[in-house]
Amino acid sequence: MTTTTAPSSGSVPPPSRTSRWSRRLTAMSPALPFLALLVIWYVAWVVFDPRPAVLPAPGQMLRTATALLRDGTLLRNILASVERLVLGSVVGILTGVAAGVLAGLNKRVAAFFNPLVVFFSSLSGIVWLPLALVWLGIGRAMVVFIIWNSVFFLVFSNTMLGVQMVPVVFEHGVRTLGASRLRTIWQVTLPGAMPHIIAGIRAGFGFGWRALIAAELIGATSGLGQMIYSAANFHRSDIIITGSITIGVIGVAIDRLLLARLERRTIERWGMV
Amino acid sequence: MAVEQRTPATGDLAPSERIPEPASVAYGRAVRRRAASLARLVVPFLVLGLVWGAIKVLFDLDDDVLVSPTTVAAAIWQLIERGILPDFIGLSLRRLGIATVVSLLIAVPIGIALGLNRLVATAFEPFFRFFQAVSGIAWLPLVIVWNGFTERTIIVIITYTLAVPVIFNTMVGIKTVPQRYADMCRSLGGGTSRVLRDVYLPGSLPSMLVGFRLGIGYGWRALIAGEMLVAQGGMGDLIFAARTGNQIDRIMAGMIVIGALYLILDQLILQPFEDATVAQWGVLRA
Repeated sequence: MTTTTAPSSGSVPPPSRTSRWSRRLTAMSPALPFLALLVIWYVAWVVFDPRPAVLPAPGQMLRTATALLRDGTLLRNILASVERLVLGSVVGILTGVAAGVLAGLNKRVAAFFNPLVVFFSSLSGIVWLPLALVWLGIGRAMVVFIIWNSVFFLVFSNTMLGVQMVPVVFEHGVRTLGASRLRTIWQVTLPGAMPHIIAGIRAGFGFGWRALIAAELIGATSGLGQMIYSAANFHRSDIIITGSITIGVIGVAIDRLLLARLERRTIERWGMV
Repeated sequence: MAVEQRTPATGDLAPSERIPEPASVAYGRAVRRRAASLARLVVPFLVLGLVWGAIKVLFDLDDDVLVSPTTVAAAIWQLIERGILPDFIGLSLRRLGIATVVSLLIAVPIGIALGLNRLVATAFEPFFRFFQAVSGIAWLPLVIVWNGFTERTIIVIITYTLAVPVIFNTMVGIKTVPQRYADMCRSLGGGTSRVLRDVYLPGSLPSMLVGFRLGIGYGWRALIAGEMLVAQGGMGDLIFAARTGNQIDRIMAGMIVIGALYLILDQLILQPFEDATVAQWGVLRA
């Protein structure tokens, strides 16, 4: 990479061709590791000449991905997974925030629930799968339950923590101005706890998305997890890799484009750090 | 925590007037404080057990749906007695242990190497973010195609799950170590290995541990899920196999043990370790 030498004299250098190129290269640089991986994959495929079941050629995978896109299989499975994710997360967030606020408002109640919440978040998610299968059978309800479970306890504990961190002075201040208890919770406690709540949601998503895939591997008839697991039965590594990449892309997109931004905005607006 | 100091009568006196209390009183207070904190921990679980038992009785639930807490306790005892539990716990922890060692040996050097150059670190950030989003469990089908339903499959999955966040966070940690610290070490005559050992390694340790702890969080769950599918023993296999016989008592017993094991790992080992590290070297945290 060409390094532009900064002039020590302090004179502003004219925007030279090289500096513009190096800036462009820096902006493009995140693509390089992916490209390198692609090259390694291709070379490995040429050198070792593996059976297609073990490792598909990059070109073959691309063809499979296009075919899956064209006949709607990929989209159908994405929608099935995302629908479960949204359903489980929304219910998990709403119940988690509600329970967290209620428990967090009282010191004794919070102290009572704290060990329970710590314990249940340590066995959240996929650990519930066998029990959920017995209770709800294979299907959407079971997967949604697993996601709810992953999200709920993390949001619960973070909300509880956040509510307790809001200085009581703020609440008293608003109450002396004549606000009702409910209004104080709505306009002081909840916004004050918001950075913690969002952090809980983001962590919950991290665990929830993984739990979703794991649950779908075993206990679903559609969805991305089911798509890659049934592909394993037919030794279709091209479908598996297409599915895994899709899972990664969706995960990164939701985390970076939605949750990370939300977190930043919330901290900028209400953060007390 | 509500630590209301209920000091005895001496509390009102000025320090100089305080009568030195006998050791037995101080000891008694320490015992009471310990007992209180233990009660704060145990009582919620006792209440939960009571509520659980009450639900079982009130709704008259079948043993296929929910078993009583005492049945689960009996199941745990039976699993211990038959040696199944110690065996399966050992299997799971062994897998986690091997994966931890392998992943740290791979991830830390890679993370350091990538983090040393700012441009390289920037280039690799999205790469590792992406692979962090492709959870280990999403690779399970492919690894099963490669290695079959074997021990190695499980270990590969967990190693991957652990390695990615450790590489990423080590890289970020190294990047945030101020250049002048390294320069200073060099100007005092430190060689490259010295700079690595005394500046970059401690400087990136807090971030590295954050990554490791996250990795264990994901990895532990990947382990359980992997064991369910690969079915070669271990806690995941235990609870998943119990499902076919509708042995709810065994499932719940296994779940409790899994939760307790993770709690010990995370709260009693990793958290104190992380706190100590952050306390000592955490000044560099950006």
